[in-house]
Amino acid sequence: MVATSVAIHLSKTVAKAHRYDLSKMKTSNPEPAFIQCRSLSKSYYKGSTVVTPLEALDLDVARGEFLALMGPSGSGKTTLLNLIAGIDTPTTGSLSVGGRDLGTLSRGRLTQWRAQHCGYIFQLYHLVPILTAFENIELPLLLDSSLDRKQRRQKVEAALDLVGLSDRARHRPTELSGGQEQRVAIARAIVADPGLLVADEPTGDLDRNSANQILDLLRELSSQYDKTIVMVTHDAHAAEAASRTLHLEKGQLIENTAPHSAQPARTATPTHA
Amino acid sequence: MKPIELGKLALKQVTRNPVRSLLTAAGVAACMFLYTAVETMQHSLATVIESGADESTLVVYRENRFCPTTSRLPEHYLPEIERIDGVAEAIPIQVTVNNCGASLDVITFRGVPPETLALYNPGLKITAGSMQAWKDQSDAALVGEHFAQRRSLRPGDTFEAVGVRVYVAGIIRSELSQDNNVAYVHLPFLQHASKVGLGTVTQFNVRLTEGADATAVASAIDTLFASDAAPTTTRPEKAFFAQTAQDMIEMIGFTRWIGLGAVFAVLGLVANALLIAVKGRVQESAILQTIGFSRRQVGLIMVGEGALLGLLGGAIGSLGAAAYFHWQSFTLGNEGLTLALAPSLSVTLAGLAIAVLLGLVASIWPATLAATRPLVASLR
Repeated sequence: MVATSVAIHLSKTVAKAHRYDLSKMKTSNPEPAFIQCRSLSKSYYKGSTVVTPLEALDLDVARGEFLALMGPSGSGKTTLLNLIAGIDTPTTGSLSVGGRDLGTLSRGRLTQWRAQHCGYIFQLYHLVPILTAFENIELPLLLDSSLDRKQRRQKVEAALDLVGLSDRARHRPTELSGGQEQRVAIARAIVADPGLLVADEPTGDLDRNSANQILDLLRELSSQYDKTIVMVTHDAHAAEAASRTLHLEKGQLIENTAPHSAQPARTATPTHA
Repeated sequence: MKPIELGKLALKQVTRNPVRSLLTAAGVAACMFLYTAVETMQHSLATVIESGADESTLVVYRENRFCPTTSRLPEHYLPEIERIDGVAEAIPIQVTVNNCGASLDVITFRGVPPETLALYNPGLKITAGSMQAWKDQSDAALVGEHFAQRRSLRPGDTFEAVGVRVYVAGIIRSELSQDNNVAYVHLPFLQHASKVGLGTVTQFNVRLTEGADATAVASAIDTLFASDAAPTTTRPEKAFFAQTAQDMIEMIGFTRWIGLGAVFAVLGLVANALLIAVKGRVQESAILQTIGFSRRQVGLIMVGEGALLGLLGGAIGSLGAAAYFHWQSFTLGNEGLTLALAPSLSVTLAGLAIAVLLGLVASIWPATLAATRPLVASLR
């Protein structure tokens, strides 16, 4: 139901507001991987002990692909997600997203890059509690000083339409259900039209029905709008929504699940270590 | 990002955390009320000493006397003083006060010859009533506007204080702060009513001719009456005020420490409120950075909150103090010198600016903490 309404919203409003290039998903020309990890490692000190949650990882993710990352706690899923989202930096190896080598960017540049190119969806939504749904979604747009108030409002309304929460714009997070909060969080993640969405257990705190709505929404964003999505999940059911599932264990990829039949075929060929 | 948008976010943090904001602002307001009250006293004292003092006017007082009640000089000194070289004019003044010691409700009558008041003090403005009505009636008084406000007096009223009952002929305003706190009455009337007796005055105010040497004239006056029954001490008005005000200066000077304490209390209060906010908003700050807000922007939101809390508390406290002094009309007095604790726009605005500045300063450390926490750790 939500997927249907989302699709309608997408075609009618968001595509105009965000100038999505729908022709991209129809191309058959091979293109370089959108996300490219080579010998990617991350280490940090915990007391005097060196912890290495990721070690010499290779990974390619195609533009518009919906990738699920699974694995036990401590396997390095969230670390990989944080690296891809540019909120952490690799110790060794290279990581490029959309052709930009994130390892060479300063902290300030990474922040700017996140603002323009990456939307992050959290398990616990992490909406700012004092702001309404509208104001939460508007936050990333405030960073773009070229947008005036009217343009921001149009984009926020389009994003609210997309997630089916136009009637909840003035509600604060405490006045929303878990599923609604997560949809607001997704709207916040996509409102600035980033090419990449990363989601850390986006359905982990939701009931089955709400989880399905969120997964439908993510699938639509990937298939209809060419968003590249990397989702960490413990839930095999959630992973089924993705076009590909990778398993991590002790910082290394150990399995590559074939694309689900429900998903459109992808043009790039992911590799793994 | 436009600075106005950061300001709006800071404002939302303040307005949408109403309990925290009101409690913090109330604390800031209490401290700024205290600070503004202290600064009002300091400012009022400075106004009295500086604007009221005049190097070209001498005050002739009874030697070794410090209170108007005990300074008694024969009125017949007047023509002898006026004959001294360098003296342009002199006016005998009888001063009667209800309390020679430090008091918050000083009533001061100044008895002057009715025909010389306007000449001696041309800066007096009649804001209600008339000078003629004062001249025409022997028990009439021209009441300073602070005095009138404090006692709710209007022309046509009568009032009694220090055993003297007078009719209010007019309300006066003067550039000399002292004049706004006293009631001018006819000299013979006051001498009679206060039982000092005709022919006795408290002091002479002596205006010098242009270029006259004040020290030489003062010395000549004191020498003239040195062997008389009522020897004199003559000083420039500025020195006279400074000596008379010495006790008040020390007393009010001490209150500066209270003001300083209030400043530190504001600093601690705002910093504490924001530190607690920072701890409660670790993830929120991390989310903003994840979205793309820079560390500087996250810190600036916090600094904006501090400034707004300072502004809110400062507005309540400083304006509250100004309103309090305006409506209460306190007059502090000592040895006949009166000091109206009048609110001042400059003091109020300074209080407001200091409150904002304190809010900014107090928020720097919490803002630094909020902006520099490791992002990944904060997201967990």
